[in-house]
Amino acid sequence: MSNIIIQMRGITKIFPGVKALDSVNLNIYKGKIMALLGENGAGKSTLMKILTGVYEKTSGEIQLEGKAVSFSNTRESQGIGIAIIHQELNLIPHLSIGENIFLGREPVNRLRKIDWQKLYKDAGTIMKRLGIAESPETQVSELSIGKQQMVEIAKALSLDAQVIIMDEPTGALTEKETESLFRVIRELKEEGRSIVYISHRLKEIFEICDDVTVLRDGQFIGEYPVGDLDEDKVIELMVGRKLSEQFPRISCRPGKAALEVRNLNSPLVKEISFEVKQGEIVGIAGLMGSGRTELARTLYGIYGKSSGEILIDGKPVDIKSPGQAIWNGLVYVSEDRKANGVVLGLSIKENVSLSVLQRLSGLLGKIDMRKEAAMAEDAIRSMSIRTSGPMQQVKNLSGGNQQKVSLSKSLAAKPKVLILDEPTRGVDVGAKKEIYDIMNQFKKEGMSIIMISSEMPEILGMSDRILVMHEGRIAGIIDYQDADQEKLMRLAIGKKEVAL
Amino acid sequence: MMMTIKGKLIRNKSLFVLILFSLVIAVLNPRFLTVNNILNVLRQTSINSIIAAGMTFVILTGGIDLSVGSILAVTGAVAASMIAGGANLFASVMTALAIGAVIGAFNGIVISKGKIQPFIATLATMTLLRGYAMVFTDGKPVSTGSHEVAGVFSSIGAGYFLGVPIPIYVMAAVFALAYYILRHTRTGRYVYSLGCNEEATVYSGINADRVKIFVYTVSGFLSALAGIIITARLSSAQPQAGSGYELDAIAAVVLGGTSLSGGVGSIFGTIIGALIIGVLNNALNLMDVSSYYQLLLKGLVILVAVLLDRKQKSSK
Amino acid sequence: MKKALILTMVVILVAGLFAGCAAPAAPAAPAETNQEGAKKVGLVISTLNNPFFVTLKEGAEAKAKELGMDLVVLDSQNDPAKEMANVEDLITKSVAVILINPTDSDAVGNAVKAANSKNIPVITLDRGANAGDVVAHIASDNVAGGKMAGEFIIKQLEGKGKVVELEGIAGTSAARDRGKGFNEAIQGAGIEVVAKQTADFDRTKGLSVMENILQAQPEINAVFAHNDEMALGALQAIKASGRSIMVVGFDATDDAVKAVESGEMAATVAQQPAMIGSLGVENAAKVIKGESIEKSIPVDLKLVTK
Repeated sequence: MSNIIIQMRGITKIFPGVKALDSVNLNIYKGKIMALLGENGAGKSTLMKILTGVYEKTSGEIQLEGKAVSFSNTRESQGIGIAIIHQELNLIPHLSIGENIFLGREPVNRLRKIDWQKLYKDAGTIMKRLGIAESPETQVSELSIGKQQMVEIAKALSLDAQVIIMDEPTGALTEKETESLFRVIRELKEEGRSIVYISHRLKEIFEICDDVTVLRDGQFIGEYPVGDLDEDKVIELMVGRKLSEQFPRISCRPGKAALEVRNLNSPLVKEISFEVKQGEIVGIAGLMGSGRTELARTLYGIYGKSSGEILIDGKPVDIKSPGQAIWNGLVYVSEDRKANGVVLGLSIKENVSLSVLQRLSGLLGKIDMRKEAAMAEDAIRSMSIRTSGPMQQVKNLSGGNQQKVSLSKSLAAKPKVLILDEPTRGVDVGAKKEIYDIMNQFKKEGMSIIMISSEMPEILGMSDRILVMHEGRIAGIIDYQDADQEKLMRLAIGKKEVAL
Repeated sequence: MMMTIKGKLIRNKSLFVLILFSLVIAVLNPRFLTVNNILNVLRQTSINSIIAAGMTFVILTGGIDLSVGSILAVTGAVAASMIAGGANLFASVMTALAIGAVIGAFNGIVISKGKIQPFIATLATMTLLRGYAMVFTDGKPVSTGSHEVAGVFSSIGAGYFLGVPIPIYVMAAVFALAYYILRHTRTGRYVYSLGCNEEATVYSGINADRVKIFVYTVSGFLSALAGIIITARLSSAQPQAGSGYELDAIAAVVLGGTSLSGGVGSIFGTIIGALIIGVLNNALNLMDVSSYYQLLLKGLVILVAVLLDRKQKSSK
Repeated sequence: MKKALILTMVVILVAGLFAGCAAPAAPAAPAETNQEGAKKVGLVISTLNNPFFVTLKEGAEAKAKELGMDLVVLDSQNDPAKEMANVEDLITKSVAVILINPTDSDAVGNAVKAANSKNIPVITLDRGANAGDVVAHIASDNVAGGKMAGEFIIKQLEGKGKVVELEGIAGTSAARDRGKGFNEAIQGAGIEVVAKQTADFDRTKGLSVMENILQAQPEINAVFAHNDEMALGALQAIKASGRSIMVVGFDATDDAVKAVESGEMAATVAQQPAMIGSLGVENAAKVIKGESIEKSIPVDLKLVTK
């Protein structure tokens, strides 16, 4: 093992009340790609934050080529060649691509004036390497999420780092973008650089990684060459038990229509008509920007509609705000939980009850604290949210657990129609299964569920019917028995002739 | 509920600063810790702390209200001239309070419906209302006169009940009510939620505009209440009354550990913050510190207290 | 479109409002059409937030009306920068004489020089200018006033007692001069100043500062405040404490004179702001006619007692 560049040994991190990491090891080999796997909350992010100097470790040792090192901030870790590409975008929307890439490290001339020519030339070189056509002077806010992710990657490359940590880099990328990313990763590897690759997409792990380190509940499970594993084995290591069926579809006899949408038009969506029955899951597929989220948010009263009718339980409803939507029994669980799904600064309890305080409060708006606490305890139990208690602030939870809080908040309103927007984005395999089980349970109870998802297997595996969108319109609606990946894709890219 | 470990530390810290500070002053000047002087400090603090209570609501939503001092001047002048004109006590007080609330609601509507930044919106109303106060009073103090009603009115500010000045009761009632609203009602919860994340609050089905209008209405109402007390204490309303009070109120809120970016803080902290400022003013006078040094010391105390708070927050 | 429309309407509304307000307030409204611009006199006043200066302004306006002169009044809002801009505006309007009531004796220098450079005569009112040429300075003697108050207190206390001095805004000439006169007067007498604190010429602060001093000092015989606003605030504090302390103010504002008449306040030193204003306009008229005037024109002070 002479080619170890970084060795983390016996790393333990204790937060007030929580042991986030317990004696964890991680080896990063020169010119190799190490996958770091684990469920949400397993401690991957914490470990990486220790490696990049964001957190201080409670105990343990980090060695760089055999010498002990320690960092107390990201600048120091960058100094010795460690760069990280975060799962959440850390770009400044109103600056250009070039400015973002070189933020804080702008090339300057002798008079300390920024050398714009050099900045944009260097930025352009990196962008070309990543296969991005946009000019480096383009404002980041004009880019798609996928392209923004590529800018993040460009930023890490510009640091000329020896070790690059990628936290869910493909989460928002299209297939094509993913391909060019993999090409770059292979080139980097060839140059002798090392990569730590964090992803929930096991296929990607098997495609590009050399070794796998698995964490579970803050514990080190083991390090394996990727050739010794297969998908089932990896999942078993991650969740500590065998997974039965990945998509546990249940069949229900759908009842009468709970939600009917008739010829809905708005500046964002056109001529939308469909219905969702009680006990039915309707999946909405489509490419990014096809109007799926816009449709959901129009139904939820965030965006205005210009014409059309919405009926719930056969009665026309007039929804102009989320408040009215909830009142009428329709709730929406956002794809972007940090921006608008949960209130990070409030506790689990306060989040879960937020939409339904009216029901929990009596005279003069006094909140019944006992009922509220019971509701939170209930949510924590039924969703198995991993937490130190209902008073814990949501910002201290892992991504998957935050998603469960977001879901609990919406379910607390006892909706008739539940709209889930990318319910499993950034959620690990084990938690995904839990979310599917929860969906099935509510399906059984007769709830109507709309699920927007970019993951084809999920759409095919969970939906009873699939609605495909293209450029703000419905391109087709297919029963799950008739659907396959190719059919959905054709509809999604607008090849209408094959539709039904 | 919101009381995490960090919250408790912040609470205890400003209280700790206040107690330590008071002990030092008590040693330096034995007259400080007399019952009379404590009542005196509390009475003087009542004006700033009542305004700061309203400011706490506003700041918790991530806003700011610069117009409090001008609202105080306008409502004080209205109350004084009504009393002087022979109106009855109840009508004068209620009119002044209603005007304060309406101006506050107007601030809230401009900010929420007009989508104007709170700083800008209330800067405009601050200037506008100060101008109106000058126009209304013609630049001169408005005396409440010396008839019987004026005498009763003045007792709101200068009177005693069971040996304790009446403004102290008013202050206590305001804080008890503010605590109840912020901690035990859904409106209070919405205030915190809005300050933490406005978008998520809207997505949770809450009418954020209504919450904003509410907090500015509270701030306007309490500014009017402070205006009535100050006018009653002096038996006269000054057109320049309350200028600079917005900064004292903001200082009290911030000293109390409430974050200017919203979502974090408590009403308990605010009263401690207001008391720190009040005790400081009192001590500087008691010890006959030269006026040149007073501003210097006040600035230093605010700076040190806020830095302490900052340090505590980052080293959680 | 809709926004633009609303904006236009608001602008028109506001403009209308101002036109409505301005008309009665400024008799100089037909300024632009007035061919005899040479007869126009400008008055730049430090602030109109203080009754004293409001009275000064009213005195000037009354005199101007009497003499049939055109008087333009501009408010500097206690801001020397605003004051400079006001003087520049008057220069642009080419008024015949500028009366300045400076916000600050040092800061006004450049404004005076600006007028000098255009050969427009300047007369300072109440506060002087430390730079530039002025044809005359009209003011009451603040040092003499402070002395008057000091002597009154010595007489009333029969030469012995404890006194509190409430100072004006630190660094202003009025606060300096009044304090100086007062302290000169009591020197050598058996009067002890037990507390000397600023209350910024403000009634509310006068109240709270006096409350605090009352806590600190068990024995006080008299209070001298640098203006009536502070004196009236202190009076409220003293009344509430139930103690009997003599209060002497300065300026003789309406409220203070009433308090003296009712016996609550012992005395106030009367400046005659209306007379300062009226003398200003009168002398400006003389300057326009080419008559020579005194360089320093003192305005009488008097002690108002019951």
